[in-house]
Amino acid sequence: MTEPPPPWIDPSVRLIEGDAHFGWPDIARMADALEATFRNAAEMATVRGDRASTVVAALVAAERAKVPLFLKRHGSKPGAPVAEDATPASPGFSVLLETSGTTGAPKRARHGFDRLRGRLRGTADPHARWLLTFDPASFAGLQVILTALASGATLVSTPGASTAELAGAAVRHAVTHISATPSFWRAFLMALGTSGPALAAVTLGGEAVDQPLLDRLAARFPNATLRHIYASTEAGALFAVTDGRVGFPASWLDTGVDGVGLRLSDGVLEVRSPRAMLGYAGGNSADSDWFSTGDVVEVRGDRALFAGRLDGRVNVGGVKVSPEAVEQLLLGVPGVQDALVRAAANPITGHILTATVVPAPGALEADVRAAIREAVADLPPAARPRAITLADHIPLGSAGKKKREGAA
Amino acid sequence: MTETMLALIAEELARIAADKGETLPPVGPDTRFLGGDLPIDSLDLATLLVVLEQRTGQDPFRAGFIQFTTVGELAALYRLDAPTGAA
Repeated sequence: MTEPPPPWIDPSVRLIEGDAHFGWPDIARMADALEATFRNAAEMATVRGDRASTVVAALVAAERAKVPLFLKRHGSKPGAPVAEDATPASPGFSVLLETSGTTGAPKRARHGFDRLRGRLRGTADPHARWLLTFDPASFAGLQVILTALASGATLVSTPGASTAELAGAAVRHAVTHISATPSFWRAFLMALGTSGPALAAVTLGGEAVDQPLLDRLAARFPNATLRHIYASTEAGALFAVTDGRVGFPASWLDTGVDGVGLRLSDGVLEVRSPRAMLGYAGGNSADSDWFSTGDVVEVRGDRALFAGRLDGRVNVGGVKVSPEAVEQLLLGVPGVQDALVRAAANPITGHILTATVVPAPGALEADVRAAIREAVADLPPAARPRAITLADHIPLGSAGKKKREGAA
Repeated sequence: MTETMLALIAEELARIAADKGETLPPVGPDTRFLGGDLPIDSLDLATLLVVLEQRTGQDPFRAGFIQFTTVGELAALYRLDAPTGAA
């Protein structure tokens, strides 16, 4: 006999993973096996969160075993340093996620499971067929998985697939609901060509959206509800905008939205959310007061618009990367005398990093390029400078500083 | 002039593929960027567009995204007689 599922899983849920199909009985068997292991875990249970089925089974097992669950990202390197690794024993079930890639050491963010589920949408539609475009162990990926589980919907995933393969899966499995980054949507539209599923729900998140993309999605999927979500690993899912326009209504800065308080402090968006995470593993609790998002917001007329990151990090296909940190890395490469790393805007991934490099006297171009390629191989793909130009000097701005503004 | 653009796109695609240790199949106007035979992902495609802007001085996407699927459709977005500058 299979045990009934926990209240957050509808027993009619279906997971389609590549060619494999999982129903609740399959998930329950996987959870039983994991639970035995988890009960012996010293401080927390750890699994590789690269498959939706594994993530779901591990959530069930960790809840039953009342242990914290750490979902490793498949991108994380074995043995890579993790910030605040001295995770204190924190009793009971919670979920630890690795924050999405920057050039720094990954951080673990601890989430209470109830709060992780605090903003689920579309839970009323058991006929929905969701496509999982995010890493299952990411904040955004979990939101999609938990939504599908709660509604007894079907979740289609293809572990490790490219955008083109996901587009193929979307058509093959007649997907109706997709939540993805703007960068994914651009590539997805290209890969679909003229064919494509009849979507009922189009959700964007993880990056600032642009109006032309919203307009194209509205035209391409005329029957779909269109919304963009503002969320962060630290602050949780905050709000959704459904009027088809970029940014959000400026009036929300006064009124808040859905229980979330919003305000600007020196142009930076601060939030107070009942759904904030419990704190960085090993750090202080962050859930009681205003939290700076680090996102710069400009008010124009009745609209609040996102205008980049306070810390200079840029968004490359949904991954926040630091041009400065990559520049520091290049400056340490043998044969590099000076380097400038900038963000170049493009309509596919929002930005990519480009580099201008001044070779040391006598250094050969081929050697310098090879040394750079080796030096950046350990970075996440989004953080690697892509178009590398060799020059005899770095242009300086009027203040004598390197000009880092985007090239476009 | 589209011929010139096609050649430029093929050249830069080959360079991007070579950086990844991949070999490019023949590229023609009907070759699809994503979802076809090219060994490139969206980061590679983003790189191509940035390099094309560096080499042509043109950004056809300045006013927003324009849908394109094939090499020929992208080439048609640029207006030039000969490429300028060098990557």
